[in-house]
Amino acid sequence: MSRKRKRGRRKSTRKAVKYRSMWLRLALLPVLLLAAYTVYLDVQVRRQFDGKRWSLPARVYARPLELYVGQELTAEQFQAELRALYYIPVKSATHPGRFSRNRNVFHVITRPFSFWDGLQASNNIRVSFSGNTVSTLTDAGSGRPASLARLDPVLVGSFYPAHNEDRVLLKLDDVPVNLTDALIAVEDRGFYSHHGVAPLAILRALWANVRARGVVQGGSTITQQLVKNFFLSSERSLVRKFNEAIMALLLEWHYKKDEILEAYINEVYLGQDGNRAVHGFGLASHFYFERPLAELTLEKYALLVGLVKGPSYYNPRRHPERALARRNLVLDVMAGQGLVDHDQAAAAKERPLGVSPQGRKAINTFPAFLDLVRRQLQRDYRDEDLTTEGLVIFTTLDPQLQWQLEKTLVAGLRTLEKSHGIEHDKLEGAVVITSVQGGEVLALAGGRNPKFAGFNRALDARRQVGSLLKPAVYLTALEQPERYTLATLLDDSPLTFTAHNGTVWKPGNYDRVSHGKVPLYQALTHSYNISTARLGLDLGIDTVVNTLQQLGVEQRLNPYPSLVLGAVEMSPLQVTRLYETFASGGFLTPLRAINAVLGSDKNPLQRYPLNVRAVVDPAAVYLVNTALRYVTREGTGRAIYQVLPQDQDVAGKTGTTDDLRDSWFAGFSGDRLGVVWVGRDDNASTGLSGSSGALHIWRNLFKYLGDPGVNRPVAEGIEYDWIDPASGLLADSGCEDAVQLPFITGSAPRQNAPCAKGGGTLPNPVDWFKELFQ
Amino acid sequence: MKAYLLPGIFLLPVLLFLQGCSTPTRPVQQPPVMEQGTVIPAKPGQSVIPGGIRPQARQPAAIASSPPVVALLGQAEDAANAGNLEAAAASLERAIRIEPRNPLLWYHLATVRLAQQEPLQAEQLAVKSNSLAAGNRIQQSRNWRLIASARQAQGDRRGARKAERRARELEQQP
Repeated sequence: MSRKRKRGRRKSTRKAVKYRSMWLRLALLPVLLLAAYTVYLDVQVRRQFDGKRWSLPARVYARPLELYVGQELTAEQFQAELRALYYIPVKSATHPGRFSRNRNVFHVITRPFSFWDGLQASNNIRVSFSGNTVSTLTDAGSGRPASLARLDPVLVGSFYPAHNEDRVLLKLDDVPVNLTDALIAVEDRGFYSHHGVAPLAILRALWANVRARGVVQGGSTITQQLVKNFFLSSERSLVRKFNEAIMALLLEWHYKKDEILEAYINEVYLGQDGNRAVHGFGLASHFYFERPLAELTLEKYALLVGLVKGPSYYNPRRHPERALARRNLVLDVMAGQGLVDHDQAAAAKERPLGVSPQGRKAINTFPAFLDLVRRQLQRDYRDEDLTTEGLVIFTTLDPQLQWQLEKTLVAGLRTLEKSHGIEHDKLEGAVVITSVQGGEVLALAGGRNPKFAGFNRALDARRQVGSLLKPAVYLTALEQPERYTLATLLDDSPLTFTAHNGTVWKPGNYDRVSHGKVPLYQALTHSYNISTARLGLDLGIDTVVNTLQQLGVEQRLNPYPSLVLGAVEMSPLQVTRLYETFASGGFLTPLRAINAVLGSDKNPLQRYPLNVRAVVDPAAVYLVNTALRYVTREGTGRAIYQVLPQDQDVAGKTGTTDDLRDSWFAGFSGDRLGVVWVGRDDNASTGLSGSSGALHIWRNLFKYLGDPGVNRPVAEGIEYDWIDPASGLLADSGCEDAVQLPFITGSAPRQNAPCAKGGGTLPNPVDWFKELFQ
Repeated sequence: MKAYLLPGIFLLPVLLFLQGCSTPTRPVQQPPVMEQGTVIPAKPGQSVIPGGIRPQARQPAAIASSPPVVALLGQAEDAANAGNLEAAAASLERAIRIEPRNPLLWYHLATVRLAQQEPLQAEQLAVKSNSLAAGNRIQQSRNWRLIASARQAQGDRRGARKAERRARELEQQP
């Protein structure tokens, strides 16, 4: 019994110990849980803070404007470029990003900018214009002439991530002291002394809120606010408040004050631009004042700091009175704490808000061009890289030309609609302009509405090209100088071709007339279909396909006879690639929209260098290009000289498809190539031929360009002879209609024309021409 | 390629000397020949332009580079001498944007590509320079020498010898 009892007692003692340790454990559990939870939060805090903190959209820049004496640029164009760069017109320029203008003389202090080839320092320059050109360029400091000045490039767009957050990242060293002073004074006076939370501040806020019976004051430190923005949702609860405090302490434990402040300056939400969220003071400065933060003045820093409390409530565009009051309060606080003296604050309070009427447009200014840039980048980067890595992308876009193109296209289409009785807004168009030798895409229109980011006709509209393909047929012929020259007579009499499978093909001319025997260059000049078809069949369709591929046509081509008359669908960009090879004298030059890509740290990532490849005989290309000059002088393209000056030599080709569905013109001058397509999205007839439609837009564009003529030095291996076009044979002074034509050396006809009756010889074309210079 | 090759590839003094001789590149005005695009040849074979389209004279031997181009060539030279070939290429591309048909610039770009061990592209760029240097034997012979080195670098010895021969022929021509 006693034993039993004893045992029982012992048992109960054991039980008590057990209970006690259980209670102990239970009591410890929350502590353990809290510790575990803190570790969990710690991992979260560090992972986010050490890793990539923000998704930075890629920024896309136009080509930088290079200034030099003799450059073709008007004072108005220059001012437009400065406006697009958000340079501020002032009476006397003293800081980067400002300029003054006195009639045709500008004084500009350019902004420094990191290019692919290194940092371009700020330039202090004086530039004057005379007519269409830059007449002087001097260093404003020394007064000495400068040979070259490069401006910073115009920002033309960004690739945003799905959540549409945008920011311009700043380093703390680049943040003006006025701003950090104001921020700390207003948001968290004890920032440099607390450990993440400030209990006194919380109590003070609590007391203020109790007195006011509502939330009038927040006791959150800058660290807490950062945590809230960074890691937590915006719900208001005790749990969240608790998390916020712990995380703030952890953040302070791991990181320096300056790191936290820098993160805050880049993270804080400061406004909304459509569906784009404006984060950080860097972007806010652009959004509200259209210039970099470093270029602002005291009252503007105060306004930005004032916005932290409520970007929508104090929105300076919608509620200017509230914003002004808030700004002045910030200035008072600054003066009260001795951060600025009272006179400074008073002067700043006198100034207006100075906010630009509209935020810097987040929408991409040139969506069609941006579309091309994105597609070229997709070969090397994932979509995610483009929207998060903060890449800096330098493109080939010439904004001056792009603006002109947009204006010319819509005006041209309207005029065509009016003159041809076409329903309003039914005509569409697409245009590509490139540099002839470098293959750089300088401007691009994907439709008549340049701001519409939808169907990009320049890239995606595949339309029949018609006669645009003919130069490839003639090149194929002229690459065989023993068989064909520009003077070779072609047969343009009616043709009926029966294929192996029994299908019959009867090509006809546009004017429904057959022209008998015509010299080869005139068949191309007047775009005769029958002689071209016969030539293509003689050469072999496969041979023509081969030439097209050499010239840079990448798509699959079916070797049907109708191919030689352009029964093939191509986009304006593909046509541009084809003509680029002609324009550049037989060199395949890949079309580039991008020059280089830098990382967000300004380190070069990738360059897209200028590459060329000789793909066809330059002498044969010279012959084709000569014929293309005849096209614009006396053939289907001659309406060009109703607009262009006679001394601007251009070469080109019209294209028209069945039932006048597509109207094309592809042509080039000395340094620029342009391809224009006009048609309807529903593929209905437009009533326009290449000459009466696309050509009109092309000539207006090239009149604006004022490019040097296409007249090139005579290619190596070319000689000129006088020819009687009617017979295609050698002419002498007895031949009234003699023309001088180029031939690949040794291929000119040897026989005399019937009109050449042994009269005087005509002067050697090249020597005779040379004499004109002497 | 080796660094000591680089200073030799830019012949700035020659350039500056050549600057004095200017090129008559402006085309002579065509005679006004037609009314508002309405003219169609009166009979087959007749040209609207009396005598047809005239050829342009061949380029004289010297190439003139404008001051901004000379400045960029200087930058390219400095970059190449400092071993930064990519920056040299970037400066030359800027120059080509200003004077796209100046064969000298394409030649220099070719030398940079060769130094970057891209003989294939170097050869193509030299061929391009040749196509723009019609009538300019000095430039052409330099291009052919460069083509010879590029072919040598690609292991094409026969092609290199052929190019050398072409360069010599051009030098010996009066």
